[in-house]
Amino acid sequence: MTEPFLSIRYLRKTFGSFVAVHDVTIDIPKGEFLTFLGPSGSGKSTTLYAVAGFQQPTSGDVLLEGRSLLSVPSHKRNIGMVFQRYTLFQHLTVAENVAFPLRVRRRPDAEVNRKVAEMLSLVRLESFGGRYPGALSGGQQQRVALARALAYDPPILLMDEPLSALDKKLREEIQAEIRRIHRETGVTILYVTHDQDEALHPSDRIALFRDGRIEQIGTGEDLYLRPASEFVASFIGNSNFLPAEHLETVNGSATIRLADGSVVSGVRIDQDFSHGQKTRLMVRPEAFRLRPGPATAGLAVEFIDTAFFGERRRVIARTAAGQEIDVRPTSDMAQAHEGITSSRQIFFDPAAAFLFPA
Amino acid sequence: MLLDYDRLGWLRAALLGFTGLVAAFLLLPVVFIVLLSFGSSRWLAFPPPGWTLKWYEELFADPAWLEAALTSARIATMAAILAVVIGLLASFALVRGQFRGRNTLRGLLLTPMVLPVVVFAIAIYAFFLRIGLGGTTAGFVIAHTVLALPFAIIPITAALEGFDKSIEDAAVVCGASPFEAKLRVTLPAIKIGIFSAAIFAFLASWDEVVVAIFMASPTLQTLPVKIWGSLRQDLSPVIAAASSLLVLLTLSLMIVTALIRRKLSK
Repeated sequence: MTEPFLSIRYLRKTFGSFVAVHDVTIDIPKGEFLTFLGPSGSGKSTTLYAVAGFQQPTSGDVLLEGRSLLSVPSHKRNIGMVFQRYTLFQHLTVAENVAFPLRVRRRPDAEVNRKVAEMLSLVRLESFGGRYPGALSGGQQQRVALARALAYDPPILLMDEPLSALDKKLREEIQAEIRRIHRETGVTILYVTHDQDEALHPSDRIALFRDGRIEQIGTGEDLYLRPASEFVASFIGNSNFLPAEHLETVNGSATIRLADGSVVSGVRIDQDFSHGQKTRLMVRPEAFRLRPGPATAGLAVEFIDTAFFGERRRVIARTAAGQEIDVRPTSDMAQAHEGITSSRQIFFDPAAAFLFPA
Repeated sequence: MLLDYDRLGWLRAALLGFTGLVAAFLLLPVVFIVLLSFGSSRWLAFPPPGWTLKWYEELFADPAWLEAALTSARIATMAAILAVVIGLLASFALVRGQFRGRNTLRGLLLTPMVLPVVVFAIAIYAFFLRIGLGGTTAGFVIAHTVLALPFAIIPITAALEGFDKSIEDAAVVCGASPFEAKLRVTLPAIKIGIFSAAIFAFLASWDEVVVAIFMASPTLQTLPVKIWGSLRQDLSPVIAAASSLLVLLTLSLMIVTALIRRKLSK
């Protein structure tokens, strides 16, 4: 096996008796876009700051191409970083900001000028070099910050919620920009966010953090289609959790009884449950169908409300057990709003549902 | 709001009158001194029987006055520089430091402002006599630096608290050493605070009289000490002229400060 490019090994950080990061281990290949996703306080930023050198881990190691970074001070790690807040130097122009990392490295003027021009064109702010940060919008400031972070060709770019101060439209615009820059430069990116949409679009892989541990690491598809836990399932995408009782498992295919008494078989599981164990069945809102298909299970519901969302109609339904669920049928939408308050059956494929311990 | 200025009605006029009265009470003595310095009466009669510049001529003819003014300026400049440098270092510790007794240290550094000056003056006089600093420029500068320190620390800590440390961190990630990052990024960002600190520290020393009386020797006198000394010998309008110049310098320094601050904060 080849040596991983960046390797975080058994990283642990405690503040007094509080364990912020619990033995986190990740290998990151060169050129990967890896996102640390998780709620605030889950340890994702602390892990990123340990890579940047702003946090000294309690134990564990961070290795770049096999060499430990821990004894290297932040300013010698040669890492690029974009922060959550605007961190441009207000007393310097945009061009001087981008030149700053090159100036502290005592690079010759000609190289500095060439690189600044190259970076400003990378973030499409060629004509802004002479302006001061105060005269730029938030989105432009973060693009300059990105140019500054990449000016010295760092092998790793760290991004700590760089879009959280921007409004939604700008966020999407800069996100596309980051994706393009990742493609063009091939830089390895560690990106921290609490926003699942921000994570799903650009990432090669996502590490989902919870309480200082990585709950699951994989592609967005992995996390969405094969969640390892109820936490992952509820954090990524929308989901309904129906209380169920586990009856039996044969060859990895479980039979369960839902709260309304109906029995569903063919639920795919990858952990062991005992007979009669209380469980929760996760069904994505878009996994529901209005018509039965081969091997689908039916669920008796009552439609309470529907709302139109452009590409998709959202239906709030209530099960016979009185639980409200979110239904977003992908097809046969026309039928969705005809039957408000009428009792009816909706259908789902048990093989696309997941069973978690309650 | 209960006390909305716009809804005070007739009380507004009363408030305005009262404020004017307070301002007049504070400012009139200064105005009188300036007027008397141009008055022709040797006995400081008011209103002056005539106008003259002879007290100013007398003032500039006596080299002792000029020397006192230069001594004042020299000591105030050195005290201001020292207070700003020490205040800057102390402010980093007070704002960024995570150590026990941080608030105690802050209180300690600010005590010269609340301690009765005469208590401080007697204490430092006795101490300096013992270690041989009494009546020396060094002793003068040290004593005034202590007094000026709170005036330097307050604006610098305020500026530093308003500065987002992420910006300094960004400079460090960019490759600047922590010292270089502070020098090239943090200091320019808090320059208004540093500038205010320098002015306030200078003025704290420039018009200080109590400690200065204890520190002074016949050959080392600041302007306020010289005024005080002359006042005890004879009540001459020359003192009014010297005081007027003191006021003029303080005033112009404050105006320049205001102008520079406005320019810096743009």
